[in-house]
Order: sequence, then C-alpha cells, then structure tokens
Amino acid sequence: MSGFYVLDVPEFASLVDAAMKSGRCKVHPKIGHYRFVEFDREIELLRRDTHMNEAVWFGCLTGGLDGKITRFDGERLKLVATNEPILGLDAARR
Amino acid sequence: MIKPLEIHPKLHGVDHTARPTWKLRDTVHFYRDILGLPLVHCISAKGWGREKENHADFLHFFFDSGNESTIAFFYYIGTQQPAELVVPKGYMAMANHTAWRVESEAELLDWQRRLESHGVKVSQFVQHEIIESIYFRDPNWYPLEITRSLRDVEEPDAVDATATIEAAMELEDSGRWKDIEQLWRNKVKFVQESQEKHSEKARG
Repeated sequence: MSGFYVLDVPEFASLVDAAMKSGRCKVHPKIGHYRFVEFDREIELLRRDTHMNEAVWFGCLTGGLDGKITRFDGERLKLVATNEPILGLDAARR
Repeated sequence: MIKPLEIHPKLHGVDHTARPTWKLRDTVHFYRDILGLPLVHCISAKGWGREKENHADFLHFFFDSGNESTIAFFYYIGTQQPAELVVPKGYMAMANHTAWRVESEAELLDWQRRLESHGVKVSQFVQHEIIESIYFRDPNWYPLEITRSLRDVEEPDAVDATATIEAAMELEDSGRWKDIEQLWRNKVKFVQESQEKHSEKARG
C-alpha cells in the first residue's frame, strides 16, 4: 500500500486537502496522530494547492513515506509506488 | 536504552549563553544601543587557572535579554582572534545561533523596523512549522534570530519527533544514509508503531 503519513497538526492540514483535491488518492481516518494518504501507483501534488511556504513544503513528507520521490522542487511533488530497499539497491546486494 | 534515573533534576530555562568577542566597542554598541539590552553585569579579572594555556586577562559581560536570561561575551585582553573562532561563511555555521522569543507578530515587526532603522540587514519574516522568525547578524558575524511561537507544542509533536529521531539514528548507524527520502521511508515503521501503541491505549 503506497502513500504518506500526515501528522495531525494545523500546518500540514492543507497537504491532506490538496491530496483529496487531486482525486488520485484515499485519505484514511486518523489513527493515533496521523492520517495516511494512500495513492495507487503515483500521485502529483502542487505547492500552490497546499498554500505552503517553502519552509513547510520541503518538509511535507516528514510524517513518513511509503513510496519513492521522482520529483520534488518548489513547484511540485511526484511520488510513485516502489519496492526498492530504503538504503538502495547497492546496499541490498551486500 | 538509558537506565531510569532515581533523580530527575529539572532545568528552568536559559540563564545565559556566551561567546568570545574581539570587538568590544562594536559589541557593546550593538547589544546595548541598537538592540537596547541593558548591560547588567561585568566581571574583569586577571587570567587564572588553565596555566598551561596561559589564560589571558579578561572581561566577561552580560546583557539582559529578558525573562531573567542574559547573553554574555568574553573579551580576552591583548589576544588575537584564532582562525578557528572566526565565524565561517555559509549555512552550516548559522546553525550555531541564539534565538530570542517575542510574544506577538507586532513585536516581531517592531524589532524588524528597529534593526533596519539602525542599518542592520534583517531578513523577511520566515514561517517555519511552529514559529515565525527574523534573522540578522551581530558585529562578530554571530547569527541571531528573533522568533514568535505560532502555536503550542503538544503531544503529537513529541510523538512525531521521537519517530523521526529513532528512524534517523537507525540510518546513521547504517553508515549509508544519504538523503531525506531514506529517512521518510524508514520512519514509516516507527509511525505505525506509535499508531499501534495509541490504539492499544484506546482499547485499554
């Protein structure tokens, strides 16, 4: 199951809203202090939809990521599903 | 894991922080006259102890920075600033800074205006997750920050901080940690653990 966790605090709430608007994900009910935003294969989020400044935007996956980043700049964030090991393929072969 | 301690001593906020200066007049002018922090204490003493290092005679002086805290400086008489104590350029050395608290956006704006009116270069307001700050430098090039809280820090913040740091320490131990994506991915299991604990607690 690919997705990302969002801590239930005011400064990250707009990330959940933007994800919902993208229409390509499912927002799970809050468990503990986190919501899980599940996506199927890939998702793209635009910073302008989140209304986040850069200081918050560039930390927006701090809740945890089950997926892989394929683009992350001041404009957009693209995530895809992955099975790659966290420490990379080189590390997995050792 | 650290063994539980029998004694749990508490801290009660900052008394003072201190740094060396080789610009006495400029430092006094900046902190006392530009920032307007009262000069409240000064030790002047013959160098003592550390005989092997030939400790210089010195001044140790303190400016009141509010809420019973001070910012202090050492001035070592007749010495030259060692190269390793010159504040390096670049963002990494900015990590070593002092941040003072104000209580409102209006106060933060007042500080920005006051500093600018004295010709100090001040940043725009920067909102981080839980604080909003302005940044500037003193005559020693030490980085300074004035900040206001945007909200209280609560239990979710502490739970999340623990998950982040546990995930990070595990990656550090691996010796192969190279980017933030690895941290965010490694953190998932710690987040799930916190959720399970929360659910168990809720079930009683």
